Amino acid sequence: MEISNLPISPSHRGKLLSAGYSTLASLSSISPKQLAEGPSTGASLLSHTAARTAWDMLTDEQTTRHITTFSGELDAILGGGIHCNEITEVGGAPGIGKTQLGIQLAVNVQIPVEYGGVGGKAIYIDTEGSFMVERAHQIAEACIRNTLDRSILHRKDLHGIEAKMQPNNFLSNIFYFRVCSCTEQIAVINYLDKFLEEHENVKIVVVDSITFHFRQDFEDFAHRTRLLSGISLKLMRLAKRFGLAVVLLNQVTTKFIDGSFQLTLALGDSWSHACTNRVVLYWNGNERRAHVDKSPSLPPASAAFCVASEGIRDALPHYKRPRMA
Amino acid sequence: MRPQRLLDIATEKCTLGCPILDDLLGGGVPCGSVTEFAGESGVGKTQLCLQLALCAMLPPSRGGLSAASLYIHSEFPFPLPRLRHLSFHFPSPFPSPLDHVLVRGVHTADELLAILDRLGDLLSRPPSGVPVKLIVIDSIAALFRSDFDNNSVDLKRRSSLFFMIAGKLKEHAARFGPAVVVTNQAVDVVATEDQSSRLRVGNYASLRTSGRDVCPALGLSWANCVNTRLFLSRSEQRPPKAVDLGDSTSEGTYTGKVRRIQVVFAPHLPESSCEYVILRKGILGLCQ
Repeated sequence: MEISNLPISPSHRGKLLSAGYSTLASLSSISPKQLAEGPSTGASLLSHTAARTAWDMLTDEQTTRHITTFSGELDAILGGGIHCNEITEVGGAPGIGKTQLGIQLAVNVQIPVEYGGVGGKAIYIDTEGSFMVERAHQIAEACIRNTLDRSILHRKDLHGIEAKMQPNNFLSNIFYFRVCSCTEQIAVINYLDKFLEEHENVKIVVVDSITFHFRQDFEDFAHRTRLLSGISLKLMRLAKRFGLAVVLLNQVTTKFIDGSFQLTLALGDSWSHACTNRVVLYWNGNERRAHVDKSPSLPPASAAFCVASEGIRDALPHYKRPRMA
Repeated sequence: MRPQRLLDIATEKCTLGCPILDDLLGGGVPCGSVTEFAGESGVGKTQLCLQLALCAMLPPSRGGLSAASLYIHSEFPFPLPRLRHLSFHFPSPFPSPLDHVLVRGVHTADELLAILDRLGDLLSRPPSGVPVKLIVIDSIAALFRSDFDNNSVDLKRRSSLFFMIAGKLKEHAARFGPAVVVTNQAVDVVATEDQSSRLRVGNYASLRTSGRDVCPALGLSWANCVNTRLFLSRSEQRPPKAVDLGDSTSEGTYTGKVRRIQVVFAPHLPESSCEYVILRKGILGLCQ
């Protein structure tokens, strides 16, 4: 086949032809690196990783672990829990339990593999000052108690692991960053690449909240959109590169749609495309519920949960099946 | 840039001057975050803030912060006689306690922003040498009730101002560690047929005071700006029989309207509430 007939962009075709390759056969024995080193073919043309098959991706997905929320119903609508390698946005009104969920996940990510968890560490980026150490301690204590109680294996070889499951250990495995402005927030997220190279085994990054510093006076909304999409791209790359889950907590605002004010997640329409999954927390009477608003793999469904002194748990007591929206 | 060690962070709390109220708040008003007291006029928000300013001077062994406070007020005049009277009931280790309550009046939101810009200097180099560890803004609502019309441009501008003010307050709270307390007013809620369109914020579907349905002023935007919201309310009727205050006070029994403080939302507190009364010697929580 002639190079000139290949379905590639004209500039690339031109570069190949001018480098002296005129047929596909002439390319077959050249390695990508050699081709890239040629005078005018950009390295970017061929050095990109080869395409992966859907089968490989499916196997990967099935072996990806999930991070439990400790509410069975919530886990169910999330497909087992918060997925690694993805960005999940969780939004809701003040007081619904976003920070509680964030702290619960930062604790639950540390459940050892032997007990069905992910056994990783957490990064918690606090932009609002809602993180209270005493609450995290309380949640960690309850998580450890729950995990050890549930497990029916009290094998001798797990003693070492059990001994390490102390609330203080859990707290020291949460890397806590407090950011006070938009620039600091962007700086920390840019820094995470380096940080994650130096600290292994971080499996979740929670940003609480992604919104706060972006709701101040932004003269130019296009600028804000650019900054936000830069952030989400960076986080997506981190999620894929290090195989971790990214959870972004968002606020709600009212928007005038169809003649009435409706609740939507903040940061606008363009942001709504940035995250892989979107979960909205809301009140239904006296009950807290979560609704999967957007996801490439999960059906829209809602589930009830509650915020107890131990943290996030299933809503009490009457059993409600997760509803399809 | 380095993460903070959580084990090294212990949230300091400032006592409210009453063990029952402190219990409700898990030890007192926390440092490093913004706590809001919302309620109608006369329910005791200013009283509570004055009491807090005096308690901040107490040593940590008695629940205080050994610190001065900055009291920014937007309603005039500042209740100086009441503060002076209260200071007799909250004896302070400092020789002249009123010297350690720094008072500043503001009239507009822009004035408040200007003060917050310069607050870093005050917090890093306090005038009397005693650190400032309590900042009170009484009240935030008064600054926003008149300057803004009800059109979308003004509301957006108002909303940005909320986030700018809250952003600065939280920045100072994070860097210098003071407790920040903001008071807010309550506005009546209009009953509509479409009850579901009324957004529920926090632990209570509805908040009542003096027999009316109310909600804290300044809307959803401001609610997103505070970390802890406490709602103060007044009962509609006086209690059928006088409340016995116990032996701890010389005032014996109380016949005024009983007030209630409820936790609307807080990252570290469960849904809870308790009753309190306002006496000459200060605010006192009532045992259930």
